[in-house]
Amino acid sequence: MSKLYDLKVLIENKIKADGLDAMSVKGKIGLRSGRTLALINATTPDDPDAVAKLRQAAKEVLNIDV
Amino acid sequence: MKWNLIRTKVLAALAGCLVVGVGGILALMSYSFTRNSRALATESVTGAQRLFTILEAREISKMTSVSETLLMDPRIHDAFAAKDRDRLLELTAPLYPRLKNEGITNWMFHTPEPNMVVFLRLHNPAKFGDRLDRFMDKEVVRTHAMVTGNELAKAGFAVRILRPVDNGCGGLAGYIEFGEEIGRFIHEMKNQTGDDYGLLLNKKFVDRQFWADSSAVWKRRDNWNDNPDYVLADKTTATDRIIEFQGNMAAVPMGGQVLERFQDGDSVFVRGIFPIRDAAGSTVGAMFVVRSISGLYQTMLHTRNVLVLVTVVALALGTFLVLVLLNRLVFRRLDQIIVVATRVVGGDYETEIRTNSDDEVGQFEQLFEQFRRVFVDLMEHVPELQEKT
Repeated sequence: MSKLYDLKVLIENKIKADGLDAMSVKGKIGLRSGRTLALINATTPDDPDAVAKLRQAAKEVLNIDV
Repeated sequence: MKWNLIRTKVLAALAGCLVVGVGGILALMSYSFTRNSRALATESVTGAQRLFTILEAREISKMTSVSETLLMDPRIHDAFAAKDRDRLLELTAPLYPRLKNEGITNWMFHTPEPNMVVFLRLHNPAKFGDRLDRFMDKEVVRTHAMVTGNELAKAGFAVRILRPVDNGCGGLAGYIEFGEEIGRFIHEMKNQTGDDYGLLLNKKFVDRQFWADSSAVWKRRDNWNDNPDYVLADKTTATDRIIEFQGNMAAVPMGGQVLERFQDGDSVFVRGIFPIRDAAGSTVGAMFVVRSISGLYQTMLHTRNVLVLVTVVALALGTFLVLVLLNRLVFRRLDQIIVVATRVVGGDYETEIRTNSDDEVGQFEQLFEQFRRVFVDLMEHVPELQEKT
């Protein structure tokens, strides 16, 4: 499992748990991190820079540390 | 407040317009009021000077007519020619109160030269035989013709006529003189114009002791020490405060001079001054003119307030309309594009951008919608997504 995919799952769970508009929130995180969450899957290779950007975007949009 | 927003910048620009507009109105009104008040002051000074000249000429004409009428009475003429003071007083004394009522306060008979002393003084019969030696006395002796003009004597400033009287045998019996206090003019001028006046006399030409004595007789305050150079002979106001002059009286130009605008309580005035010369041409005094421009000032304030209010309301309304228009035509549509763009990245490939106009933003909406469709088509062909679906 890639780290990026783990982050994606955590983010999706948080969105579900909070009952947020999934498309909008995922769109904002995607725009901030420069990655489309839909294109991240279990085989997506890890990139430390991409991981850091995704964490930062999740922090900004959802105010969570993932 | 976010300064990077167009909304904030537009608001700031309109607020700037408001400040400039209101400032401009205030400056314009102030400039206009200053110009108008100066024009009124100039008009007051020239008008007062003209009126003073007219009154002076009218009184000279009146005194000339009175003197001619009196000298046509052979009894008066003969009594003077015979130098019979008692008879002359007996004939003229009953007339003096009537003339005094008409403003003629000075009435004298003079003996001919070389002595030329006062033979009879109707306004003070007990005093005679004194020599006055004024400019007008010298002038009438030199010309043997009627001399008119203003003459500042110890008692005050008067417009006078002095004319020779023949003795009926081709010789000179003496001179007859009439005079009116100029102080009286200012009250008549006030009645005609509504302005206030003050008659200032140069102390050089006024006797200190005589001024003190006459102040006591007229029961007026002895104002000799109010100013080092001049004394206020008469005024039409209750207060001396609006008639204050610190300048050099001799330096006042012949055409008069506007002094300044000033405020006294709720009232606003403009002041001016013009010189008064005696028969010899010396500046012996000056007439102070004070005009109330409170009405103009209040009108200006009202106009200014209305203009400021109208400007503020118009700009506030304009600002509101501009912001509403910008919101409807630009900001709301840009927000919609941002929402759709965000959702597309989030995986919503269904929501489209609706374009209802072909204006600048509409063209951008169309372009962005085309871009969205390309993006959605691209995403649909990505292997990861195909596998998932």
